[in-house]
This record gives sequence, structure tokens and C-alpha cells, in this order.
Amino acid sequence: MIRFEHVSLEYTPGRFALRDVNFTLADGSFTFLTGHSGAGKSSLLKLITRLEKPTEGDISVDNIDYRSLKPRQEPQLRRQMGIVFQDNQLLHDRSVFDNVALPLIIGGYRLKDIQKRVNAALSRVALQHRAHDEPVLLSGGEQQRVGIARAVVAHPRVLLADEPTGNLDAQISAEIMQLLMQFSASGVTVLVATHDSGLLNTFNFPRLVLKQGRLSAQSVSAVNTGIQHQYHTEEQI
Amino acid sequence: MQKWAYTKRGYALAQSLSALKRRAWSSLSTLLVFGITMALPALIFFTADSLSRLGASTVSEESLTVYLKLQTSDLDGAELARSLSTQEAIRNTQFISRDEALAVFQQQANIQDALNVLGENPLPGAIVVFPTRQSLEADTIETLAKRLNALPEVDRVQYDLKWVKRLQSLLNLGRSIGWVLAGFLTLTALLVIGNTVRLELLRRQHELEVSHLLGAERSFLHRPMIYSGILFGFLGGLVACLISLVTLKWLGTASASLASLYSSSFTLGTPGPEQLFLVVAAATLLGLLGAIAALYQPSSHLLPNRR
Repeated sequence: MIRFEHVSLEYTPGRFALRDVNFTLADGSFTFLTGHSGAGKSSLLKLITRLEKPTEGDISVDNIDYRSLKPRQEPQLRRQMGIVFQDNQLLHDRSVFDNVALPLIIGGYRLKDIQKRVNAALSRVALQHRAHDEPVLLSGGEQQRVGIARAVVAHPRVLLADEPTGNLDAQISAEIMQLLMQFSASGVTVLVATHDSGLLNTFNFPRLVLKQGRLSAQSVSAVNTGIQHQYHTEEQI
Repeated sequence: MQKWAYTKRGYALAQSLSALKRRAWSSLSTLLVFGITMALPALIFFTADSLSRLGASTVSEESLTVYLKLQTSDLDGAELARSLSTQEAIRNTQFISRDEALAVFQQQANIQDALNVLGENPLPGAIVVFPTRQSLEADTIETLAKRLNALPEVDRVQYDLKWVKRLQSLLNLGRSIGWVLAGFLTLTALLVIGNTVRLELLRRQHELEVSHLLGAERSFLHRPMIYSGILFGFLGGLVACLISLVTLKWLGTASASLASLYSSSFTLGTPGPEQLFLVVAAATLLGLLGAIAALYQPSSHLLPNRR
């Protein structure tokens, strides 16, 4: 579960990236985070991953209250999350297998577990046969699938995707979305930041719509079947 | 990656090794710069022992002559010589009785007529005192002379510290210059490693940022750089030893032929395994310190999000 309560982020005095944002995402939910460029999507993701600290308000993820979080606990928090980047951020000096294995090495897993989990993750994104290839030999869609495999290999409870289909065509974007939906169905809370209108029109999931750092009324426009979402918009406040 | 590379430490080592291998030429040139920089302090360290042995052997025949009072009997003189030889700072003694002194004197000068006039042997007995090698320092010898002079059987002590002092001054000067040079070159080696690690940080910034986002702790981000520093230090130390050994071999021939002109047996000795180990260990430590310095200041901004 991800909970934001009256969260504001002010980079410089008077310049708010986010202002009084309130929402709760239930476990296993699938939500779009949308808005124009500069609306505050990346800032919101940075707050969740603790790359930024809010100027005001409280954030909690999986009952971890960020106020009580010490700096040395932040890496551990990030290890409980999966992050999918727009440009996949793969390391091109190593194989697909080693890219996917990186979060597990960071987490201190044993080799046996690493092999098992990486093979399972690559199998879920249908890339087991490319395990020993270098990422540069893969297509854009395949590279993004490797990015997803890396994000989910440590079995995170929260999956954050920042424009995961940004550079991909419609068909491959749909494949990527199907993958993310599969993870959501298995209980992972998925938050996808996107401003891809095609994607938003095709998939009818709840949305957090940001406008100039505030959640807009449109945020309550969609409800995911069977999962409760609670949003507080500026209009409600 | 090899199987051992799937642990935190193994991963760091594998990354450091692969960086070395990937940029073989630049790594080699860094190692050569580091090795050459470290070679001079290593040479000073290796030759210090030989030079101090040269100093000691040159002054090993240095001695103090203790003249005994005329009334001291040969028996007492010989006994005193024996007792002195067991004392601290004294390597050996040699007693010269009054008769032996006279015999030597007669061989060296034609003074038989003068002796006939005197009627008796005017020369006192003497003890030649050879200090230990460790005591061949001006201050120690002066202390020893004072101690001997205070003995009731002793009339006076004669010694010449000129050579001891000269040689010691030269050795001290050489040692000081060596230390200053070694200090500067060590600092240079530290900067070489620091810069290499900073470049490595720049090259790996993308990987560091990704690892940071994936939940890597600071130690995980730092470790490959620390290992790179240690690796460069260790390998640079080996290069320094190699350069020093080749130089010593070359200088050894020249110094031996010079020594033979002075009928000296002086040779520049080959360093032992302990000395080689010490140089490699010192270089490795320098590599570690250089890496730490590069990671903490002023390169900290190169690491992701250090709040």
C-alpha cells in the first residue's frame, strides 16, 4: 500500500513540485500516474523511492512510515521496490542475465537463488533464450522487458514504472502493459507514470492526474475492478 | 561473470578486474607511472641497508686507545682489558703491555740512545678498545670515552672521531634527502591512484546511479573503487619492485667495479623477500588510501545522491 497525506515538495522557496497531495493505493492495485511534462510525476516517484524528502506531509509504503526512516534504511526500502525506467537503464557491459541479477547481488542473495530467480524472471518476460546476450543485441521492446525482469526479480511489493513505453510502438507498448498487469494480478502494487494518451485510452485503470503539482479532479475518474482506491483531490479538500 | 562474482565482494572484484582488462593500455600506463614513482623510494629503502653496512664496515676499525697509569701492572692491565671486553658498547679489547709498547716503539723509531739515558721503559701499558658497530656514533663514543677516563687505572683516553662524524653526516644527509624524496614521490603516487579512481568513478557513473536506485548501499557503490585502488597499488608495487631489482642489478655491477678500485668488498645487496613484501604492502596501502581520498573528497559529488 502506498499512502500520501498532505504531501508537498518545494524545491526552492515558492516553487512547488507537488502541493498537498493525498492518495492511497491499495495492495495489488494498478494505477496510472499522469499529467503533462513538469506536472510533478517524476517528483512523486522520487518521493516514493526516497530520492527526495517531502517538505510537508507524510508518506508510507507497506506500513513503513517515511518519517521514522533513517538514511541508512533507505537502500533497504528501495530494494523492496521494483523500478522500470523509460530508457530501461540497462548496463551494456554485461549480459542480460547479469543485468537482471544485479538487484539480487545488491540484496546479498546466494548464487543458487540468483540463478533460480533470474531464470524465472526472464521466463516471465519470455526472454530466457536471450539470457547470455548483451543488451545491445536486443530490440527496444526486448530491452524494456529485461528492465521489467530486473525490476521484479527480487519479488517487490511495489512496482514503479516511469514512462515504461515511452520509446516503444503501440504493439510493444501493449505487450509491456500486459506484463505489468500480470504482476499487479499477482499482488504487486503497480504505479505507472505516463503521458501516453494512447495507453491511457486503451487501458481503463484508475488515474492520479497531476496538474501543476496538485492532484486534479480527474483522479477519481476510473476504478479498478475489485480494488478499493481512495483519492483526495484539491477540490475535495 | 564467474560464479564467485555473484556475491557483493566478488562483484566488486570482478568489476575492478574487468575495468583493468577493458582499458588494458590505460591501465598499463597508470601502473607504469605508479611503479616508476614508487621505484625510487623502494630503491632508497633497498639500498639503505647496504649503505649503512658500508658505513659500519668503514668505521669498524675505529678504536679508542686507553693509556694506563705507569704504576698499573701488566696483570692489572690485562685483567682490566678482559673486564672491559664484556661491557656494553664494547666489541673487543686488546691489551698492549709496557714491554710490547716499547718493542713496537723501537721498531718504528731509532731511540735506543734516549732509552739508555732514561734507564727504564717510559711507555705506559695501553688497552685498544673496539666499540660495537651500533656504538659507532659520535655521542656514544664520547660517552664511552668519558666512562673509560673515569677508571682509576686509566691515565687518558685517545680517539679520533673525525671519520666517524664525517661519514655519519654524509649518511644522515643522504637519509634526509631520501626521506624527502620518498615523501614527495609517495604523495605523487597517492595522487596518481586518486586520479585513476576519480576517472573510474566518472566512467562508472551510470552503473552507480542504477545500482543506487536498485537499493545499493554506499559500501556496495564504494567497494569496486576501493578494490581498484588496492589492485593498482598492489600491481604498481610489483612493477616498482621489478624496476628496482633491474636497476639494482645494473648498479651492482658498476658499484662492484668501483669498490674493487678501493680494495673494498662493498656490494649493493639484493633485497630479501621481506623487503620486497614491505614495498608491495606499502604500495597496496597507498592504493587503498588514494581510493579512499578520491571517494570522500573532492569526488563525493560524483557519487549518486549523497544526502
